[in-house]
Parts: sequence; structure tokens; C-alpha cells
Amino acid sequence: MDLDDTNLEDLNDSNDSEDYVHITPAEVLELMEETWVNEKFAPEILPNKTEVVDIILEQIKSMEVNIKNLSNDDFTKNIYQLEVDKLRFMVTSYLRTRLEKIESYVVHILKEEEKRVEKGESKYLSEQEYKFAQDYSRSMDRYFNKIMNFCPNLTSDTWSSKVIEPNNNSFVFMKSKKTIEGLPIDITNADSDLVDIKSGSRVIICYSSIEELVKNGDVNLI
Amino acid sequence: MDPDELEFLGEKSKIMIIPTFNKENIHLISGDLGPFRASLPSQVPLWVATLLKKQKRCKIIPPDWMNVEYLEALKEQEKQTSGFTRMPSDHYMVEAKLLLDCAPDDIPNADEVKVIIKDIWDMRMSKIRSSVTKLVKNSDFYAAVDNLTIMEINSVRPILPHALDNLFRMKHIEQPKPSQNSNVSSFLMSKRASTSFQLSNNEDY
Repeated sequence: MDLDDTNLEDLNDSNDSEDYVHITPAEVLELMEETWVNEKFAPEILPNKTEVVDIILEQIKSMEVNIKNLSNDDFTKNIYQLEVDKLRFMVTSYLRTRLEKIESYVVHILKEEEKRVEKGESKYLSEQEYKFAQDYSRSMDRYFNKIMNFCPNLTSDTWSSKVIEPNNNSFVFMKSKKTIEGLPIDITNADSDLVDIKSGSRVIICYSSIEELVKNGDVNLI
Repeated sequence: MDPDELEFLGEKSKIMIIPTFNKENIHLISGDLGPFRASLPSQVPLWVATLLKKQKRCKIIPPDWMNVEYLEALKEQEKQTSGFTRMPSDHYMVEAKLLLDCAPDDIPNADEVKVIIKDIWDMRMSKIRSSVTKLVKNSDFYAAVDNLTIMEINSVRPILPHALDNLFRMKHIEQPKPSQNSNVSSFLMSKRASTSFQLSNNEDY
């Protein structure tokens, strides 16, 4: 199976700052798996990894063409097919988790995205996710406007003033990839205890303490 | 996370098989396998091994740790120490389950192995339960879980993180906070355990 070099280069370009020198499909899979599990356990929506998803989808597509060309007598066809199915499961599960979060926290997420754009940071949502979020919030608006007619005491913005936010102080299990020193246990408290976490060790800790570390990839949620 | 998804994560660990077929390399996205020569051992991911085994195209060589002597020693060690022993594999439960289900004929004393692994699991689970109680009683907001495997961590989810969420919240309610957030309430949606009701200071709902 040929590696899709063009796509891999795209990834390298878009991540100049992160020194991707060369990346094999196996490493992309590894990355996808980490991204999937992180997204599953993080209370808030994480920055999108569209590059990784695109590469995987590309790989699945080219693999499927190859599978079609295999004869039915070949028992390895099953193995190829199973791998493709496994990958597809992982990617869909990842994307669905994100959509679920968008549906739950749509107002909050759109607000945060706006702030990010103002500050000139890149968006967390991908193009399509952003569109979905906007569509979703518009339909919610329409729906509530309609339904509020039945409740004369409430105005239509009653619902949107109660913003649903993810609880970033929730507890998560994590595994560290490097040694981290002086991590506050409770980030909301200025004189909270500090802990040192050795590379490879696993702890349960408040998500807000490690939020940045999850986003830059120093720790994985498990 | 569902046990199925944990199985998914555990399935990619490598295992040795003895194929009964000849085949050139298999080029998977996750890397190349083979070439396979009948009766020469070859390394494949666990999910490939179980698939081939179900098709009766290979014999599985059980991992080093999956034998009675090693596991007995491990069980003894687990019994002696108050902490958790390091497990030979991060996905030992998944591996044991898959292999014992599909290839009991390739594992010497499969039944005995099964019983010992279950014993170790039970012992560890009861240790986990008592450490969880201790953690919650002390209301510590940090704990190292170094030697716990993913499956064991998953077994205390969502109850432990959720209990700590609530303790954490109570602790923060005790200290009066500036009222900037007082009119914002956030609700728990869906079954996701990591989110929950955030109590607001003014009870206007």
C-alpha cells in the first residue's frame, strides 16, 4: 500500500512549530487513538485534529480500493476489511463525541470560538463543525422563540442567558508523557499543593490543572 | 468508556502465532505483517491472531506471563503487598479474555490460568475499593494510580471522578467567592459524567 505522501506533507506543513519530520501511517494511527481517547474524557471540546482525521480517511479510502481488487478466495481480505472497519469505528466515535459536546454546549462553544477569533487564535472547531454549531444554535433559537409564546412570563432570551458550560473542574485520569514539576492540584486556589509527576506515571487529577498539558500533548487522558 | 472500547484499545498488542499457511507480507495501515511461513513463529496484533485462530489458520503462542507458575507468583506478590503490583501487561484482562475465549487449546492449563487471573483481578478490585473509600474520606483531590491497568481504572469510572467532582464543588462553595458567576448556572446534559450541576449562589431557578 503506498503511503499518501502528499497528505503527510500537508500535516508537516500545518504543524511547522511542532517539528514533525516524518510520520508513518502507524504513527498517525497512534495519534488518532490518543486524540480519540483524549476527546472522550475531556469535559470540554478540544482543538480539532482535522489533519489527522483526513489522513486516516484518505488511508481508509485507498485501502478500500485495494480490498475491492482482492479476490474473494483470499483469506487476508478479511484482515484488511477488519482493519478498515476498526479505523472507521474510531474516527466516527471521535467525530460523534465532538458533535455531542457541540450539541450540549453550543452557546458556550460559539462564544469561546468568537473570543478565540478576536484574539487571533485558531478555532477549536473544524470548518464543518463550526457550521454545524451555528446551524444548531439557530434552530434552537427558532424553536425557543416558538415555544416561548406559550409562556407569557418568559422572554425568548431566557434560555440563552442560562448558558450550559462544561465543568472543567471535573476529575480525569491521565498518563504523563514527560516529567512535570510543580503542578498545582487545585488551580483555582493560589496556595494549593504542588505535585511533581514523573514521566509515564498515572494520576487522577482535576482537569483544569492539566488543561493546557492535554492540549499541547504532554499528557494523555486515560 | 465501554468495555468494548477498552478491548478495542487492548487488541493491538502484539502476540506470537505459528501460522499453518504460507503467505507473503500483509500490508496493513498499521504496518506490515509477515511474511508467513507455515510452522515458523510470526508476530501479529492480537486482533489478527484471534481472527486467524477462528479460521483455524494458526496456533497461538501465549504471552510469557500467561502460565500457571508466573501467575501464582504474581498472585502471591499481590497478596503480600498492600499496594498494587505492576502487571505484566497493561491490558492483561483483555488479552486473557480474548485468548482464553478463542484459543483455550493453545494455552497450557487454560482453566487454571483463568482462575488465577480472576483471583488476581478480585484481589486488586477489593484493594481499589478500599483505596477509593480512603481517597474520598480524606477528600484528597489528587492520587497516583501508577500500577493500575486501564480496565481497572475504568471500573471506578464514573463513580469516583464524579464523587470527587462533587467534593471539589462543595469545598469551593464553602469559601465565598466573588459573585461574578452568580447568575450563571450550568446544567448537566446527557450521561456524560464529567459534567454536572454547578450550584449558583442565587437560587433563581
